[in-house]
Amino acid sequence: MTGWLFILAGLAALQGVERAAAQEGPAGLTKPVILPQFEPAKPRCNAPPDLGKILAFAQDNDRKFMQGVASGLQLAAKDRGMEFRLARASNNPARMIEQIKGFLTEKVGALVAAPVDAASVAPFLQQVIWSGAYVGTVVPPPAVTILNAPQYLTGKVLGDEAAAYIKSRLNGKAKVVLLTHDSLQFLAPRFTAMRDSLKSIPGALIVADISPLTVDEAGGAEMMRTILVANPDVDVVLGADTVVLGALAALREADKARATQFLGGIDGEPAAVDEIKRGGPYKASVSLASPIFGYAMGQHAADWLEGKSIPQAMDILPKALKIENLAQYEADTADPASVYQDGGRREEYLRMYGNICYDTRDQYLNFPWSSERR
Amino acid sequence: MLAIGFLTLLGIVGSTAWLSEKSSSYFDESNRSRSLRAAAVELRSALQSAESSQRGYLVGGNEIYLAPYDAAKAQALARFDRLKQLLPASSQNVAMITRLSKIIPEKISEMDRTISLKLDLQDSQVGAVFRSNRGKALMDEANLFLSSIIRQADDQLETLLNDQRRNATLLRLATIIGGLVIVLVVGGATLTVFRYAREVSHARNELNVLNLSLEDRVTRRTAQLAEARDRAELLVAEVNHRVANSLSLVASLVRLQSNLITDRASKEALEETEARILAVASVHKRLYSGGDARFVDLQEYLSSVLDNVEASMRGQGHVASLRYELEPLKLKTDSSINLGVIVTEWVTNAFKYAYPDKPGEVRVRLRRLSDGKAELAVEDDGIGRAEGPAKGTGLGSRIVSAMARSIGGNVEYVAAGKGTVARLAFSASLEG
Repeated sequence: MTGWLFILAGLAALQGVERAAAQEGPAGLTKPVILPQFEPAKPRCNAPPDLGKILAFAQDNDRKFMQGVASGLQLAAKDRGMEFRLARASNNPARMIEQIKGFLTEKVGALVAAPVDAASVAPFLQQVIWSGAYVGTVVPPPAVTILNAPQYLTGKVLGDEAAAYIKSRLNGKAKVVLLTHDSLQFLAPRFTAMRDSLKSIPGALIVADISPLTVDEAGGAEMMRTILVANPDVDVVLGADTVVLGALAALREADKARATQFLGGIDGEPAAVDEIKRGGPYKASVSLASPIFGYAMGQHAADWLEGKSIPQAMDILPKALKIENLAQYEADTADPASVYQDGGRREEYLRMYGNICYDTRDQYLNFPWSSERR
Repeated sequence: MLAIGFLTLLGIVGSTAWLSEKSSSYFDESNRSRSLRAAAVELRSALQSAESSQRGYLVGGNEIYLAPYDAAKAQALARFDRLKQLLPASSQNVAMITRLSKIIPEKISEMDRTISLKLDLQDSQVGAVFRSNRGKALMDEANLFLSSIIRQADDQLETLLNDQRRNATLLRLATIIGGLVIVLVVGGATLTVFRYAREVSHARNELNVLNLSLEDRVTRRTAQLAEARDRAELLVAEVNHRVANSLSLVASLVRLQSNLITDRASKEALEETEARILAVASVHKRLYSGGDARFVDLQEYLSSVLDNVEASMRGQGHVASLRYELEPLKLKTDSSINLGVIVTEWVTNAFKYAYPDKPGEVRVRLRRLSDGKAELAVEDDGIGRAEGPAKGTGLGSRIVSAMARSIGGNVEYVAAGKGTVARLAFSASLEG
């Protein structure tokens, strides 16, 4: 679910860009550009004046993923001597706008937002940027630093895991089910990537490439029941965690679930992680380590306030959670500071692009950025 | 070995027949699978064609896109009916057909409805139906089942093909093995024949060598035996010669003695003894001059004995004549000596007592009887054999009796007219 929320936010940003143009202040980069790699050694700028050393988080809802972002931010604020403020909008765009207005009035030095409605929130985020504060967003523009999740790579990570499993454990032969997501075309790169991965295994036969009517456990279960009518034996099921969990339930209901199957999802849903820990057919879930990128954004906010150059954009790299690396992943997300301080480990989770600082803040990103744009 | 070859040939023929039968069965099943696949592919193609036509019209609003729509729709329904006929009955297939029976009409209905709305220029409603994504979902679901049916047919075809390939491989293997077995059998048989022929040839050669060796040994042995026999015959002839000479010497001594004796009785006794000795000596003369010492030609021997006796009797002044008829007959040497002594006694008696003072004839006859016996008879026409004590010393009669017994003969004296017939019947067998 996390991934497609990223995209929804990106879409809504287009409308936000149009509204922001009517406000005072620079519009930022509104046309897509390819950002170079982030250079940490770039010269310092001036520090923003008259702003409080406060890190605020405008959180859309209280789902676990966002709780992770909040915990990372809070930890970074503590480590860098900033005050941390958390405002939950509970999926209410108007409330989020009011909360952002409040932060603007309060002259917070840094704001991280996970917009409920990117289009309506965008003008207010621009105002925060114009105030000289650091603005980081989880996906949609505008922001001085955009956090994004590469969709193709996300699907590729899961597809490659499935391909490796088919090759090593299923003798290169498998009947594969792809549970797609017709209602969100922006997730299409994920499934393109999965198909690309499976192409490398000649014996992997995609017997179903179909979208459940609803993208939830019930929809996944219902579609799996239909698929089992046509294909009573399947070896691999890929999709979002929620639908794959539903598919697993349908497989169990039909007594077709086997420990040798490979069920893999995206989003790192707790139920999926629990299934992985049980050692059954659920073998992997691609997760985005929200505490780690939350911690990184908190660090960037502190650097911004100190006049340092920070990344314009950041990919949170998808990580396939498996029973072998689950403990390490949980340890990393519980202690994001260690990961951030360790360059090698940090690069496993984060990839940074472009440079920006207080003096060059007019170069903020005001278009839906993706590292996968060609 | 021939049985193995025959069974192998039978196996190859049987395998070929079995494969032909299986091929025929595979052909039928393959055709069914191909038809099923074609029906599913054509159904999917018809649905896609209809959908493409519908989408083209909805997007462009140009009715030209609808040209293939009705035909595609009709073909989809016809292909679906065909698919239902061809799909083998199984719980999975029944479930799929049940679902397709709902999906296909609903898909066609959705397409008909949107086309109808478009024709009525209700674009907003068309957009709403389009955005509901129901058409794609139905098509995806139909495709899910049709793909499964196509795969099912493909799997069946692949299985049949693999079975056929495996059977062909088996047949090829059986033929190769069978051919090898037959070649081995033929080779074995040829080898056996060659080996048998070689053994026969070898045995024949060995036999020839043995024969040659045996012939050589036989020749050498025969030569040795001939030599031994010649030596033995020479020795026997020498012995008989010496015996005959010794007996002649004894007879001469007896005659010299008798010439000196004046007493008539003693003189006659010595003369009789001389005659007897000469009779025996005559045999030995025959033996050393003849070829075989075991047997004596009686015709020849007895002629000699009788000539001697007649000469002796004439020398003593007796006037009777002697005539003899002797059939050719051979007898063992011992028996011949006895016969010579007996005939000497009887002829001497006839000369002396049948014709004491007048001439007469003494007849000797030797003949073979019909029962394997022979008869020696001495006849005279003299004064006859008077009853009472024997004339002379009686020694002659005792000698005759003893010698007749020794050869198993039977002596009888028969008065015949004025004279006497003395007969001895004896076995003429050479074995006794």
